[in-house]
Amino acid sequence: MGSEQEGMEQRRFDRQTLLKLAAAGGAGLAVGRTGIADAMWTAATAETGRLQVLDWAGYGNDGGQAMFAAYVKAHAANKPQFTYMTNEADALAKFHAGLKVDLFRPYVGWVKYFATSGLVQPWDTSKISNFKHLNPFMVKAGQYGGKQYGIPADWGFDAILYRTDKVKPKSNSWSLLYDERYKGKIAWFDDPVENLTIAGMILGAKDPWNQTDAELDKSKKFLISKKHLVRTIWSSETDLWQVFGSGDVWIALAWPNDWVQMKKKGLPVVYMHPKVGRQKPIAWIGMFMLLDGSTRPDLAHAYVDAWSSAKSAKWLEDNYGYGEANTVAKPSSSDLLKVLQLSNPHAVGLPNAYTDRDVPRRAVYAHAWDEVKAS
Amino acid sequence: MRQRLLTPSLLGLPLAWLGVFFFAPIVIVAIYSFNVWSLFPGPHGFTFAGWRSVLHSHVYLHLFWKSVQMSLIVSVIIVVLAYPLAYYLALSGTKRKYILLLLLIAPFLTSYLLRVLAWKVILGDSGVINTFLFWTGLRSPDHPISQLLYSRFAVMLVLGYIWLPFVALPIFVTLETLDRRLLEAASDLGASRLRAFLRVTLPLSLPGVAAAFFFVFVPTLGEFVTPSLVGGASGYMYGNQIVDLFNTGFPDWETGSVLALFLIVVVGVLTVVFSRFLQPQQVTAE
Repeated sequence: MGSEQEGMEQRRFDRQTLLKLAAAGGAGLAVGRTGIADAMWTAATAETGRLQVLDWAGYGNDGGQAMFAAYVKAHAANKPQFTYMTNEADALAKFHAGLKVDLFRPYVGWVKYFATSGLVQPWDTSKISNFKHLNPFMVKAGQYGGKQYGIPADWGFDAILYRTDKVKPKSNSWSLLYDERYKGKIAWFDDPVENLTIAGMILGAKDPWNQTDAELDKSKKFLISKKHLVRTIWSSETDLWQVFGSGDVWIALAWPNDWVQMKKKGLPVVYMHPKVGRQKPIAWIGMFMLLDGSTRPDLAHAYVDAWSSAKSAKWLEDNYGYGEANTVAKPSSSDLLKVLQLSNPHAVGLPNAYTDRDVPRRAVYAHAWDEVKAS
Repeated sequence: MRQRLLTPSLLGLPLAWLGVFFFAPIVIVAIYSFNVWSLFPGPHGFTFAGWRSVLHSHVYLHLFWKSVQMSLIVSVIIVVLAYPLAYYLALSGTKRKYILLLLLIAPFLTSYLLRVLAWKVILGDSGVINTFLFWTGLRSPDHPISQLLYSRFAVMLVLGYIWLPFVALPIFVTLETLDRRLLEAASDLGASRLRAFLRVTLPLSLPGVAAAFFFVFVPTLGEFVTPSLVGGASGYMYGNQIVDLFNTGFPDWETGSVLALFLIVVVGVLTVVFSRFLQPQQVTAE
């Protein structure tokens, strides 16, 4: 009985959809090919309500509108509604606490975690017209078990930002973050994995992302022994800009955008990629993920498609100083082109950088980092 | 009969409010702390593991003790600073005491965040104080006093500033309602002003002092906004750890709930202890 009713509803839906398509097609003749495509797409989606997006501050209606302007234009009745996340752990807590959204954006190191968590579903890449322009290396990084769980979007590095008029590094090394000469002028970033991974790199851990208990203990003790050098541990970029821009801090674990912002302030700054020994910067890639149980999957695809366009990508690069997975886009600034190494399709991978990866013992890392902060 | 019905109906709303917005959340946090509810799906059940691990963790207890020390220092210092202020306002006989009191409270008409952030402008390496020191030649621009901001000192200073009016008010109320005839009697019996203060005014104002101390000690113990804005790496407090356990790194609601409840228990015990000093009839004596 249930399946029969479902079948009837399906047929009714199909008939309604066909009628809408016919009407949309007719109207489309008057507005040209793009209009037809948009109208047909709109009609084809029986999805209602506003698209629910969980994203980072700066990527929603608080400054990131240009990235999804094409979506809003095509789906004015389903404008995105944003909830903001401070990090992936925050997103995870929100989901388990009952937040329902259609899509969100964790970073590449969390792809495996979320893909195996049952919280997300793979994308249908055939519905994303700009997918073919996305960097293949990054596209692959968004896959798990042969399925595309993450659509790559923004990307950048964790590297070192420093003032050239105040700081003279001994080498291109992460050690600058722990340099006794600059006590009280250093800022770390509030993230367990980044800090313990970097410490692991310096201390020679076999796999910095999956350290043994002994290695992790060594990394933790190393960070605790160096914490007295640190002025602040930043968790939002605006905090970093304030503390770095005011001269309270000269060295920071930072992102490319921070370099752009400090250059805009007229500060003499360098964005240094560590290169000593096995040391390299850590590259991160934002990955749109589609929530399992999303009631607006087609709209979610359309939203991601808008983000993936060359126009949006160029805007992101020019205004936010991050890279974008769309390979067609090129930023206006040659400085940025150089820092992001946009001409290198493998910029985020070896031998240039370590792409951030899954951390099997994330909870253990988090606990160790808690101890560092509490020390 | 009417009176018998009136009392419960009057009490009903506040009790319901207290139940829904105070006791129920505490019960929920307690359930998480014993792992009866868990953030993550999968096997879980009643256990003391979270409590055991916190009570055996030198990290959390050390951080708690650090926060207790910071709150104690802030509370004691601002009570000592607020007392003369309240004394002057209440007993000097000035006609403008309520205007002065209003001035004391005036900063509260602006945003809490704004007031905390303003201190960054004052305390930073290029801030008002350091710039003044450069100008006077007492410090060179290459060697500002960095400890002014992003330090425990900064947290304690800002907390003191924020809570000073809260401390001054209960002391002011106690002193203002003091029976002046007692001071006249002390004077008539030959007591000096200092002796009258030490033997009459101070003892009678102690409930207000205790209330003031309590008003500032309890909220600062669980404070996390001010340390996160001006505390830097060294000003990290117990409240920050609770926030981090809930949503930074990797969520650990069980441990976060234990820490939150531990704080509530300590505050509860302190409330009972302090309530011996908080005798309302004396604080509000006519």
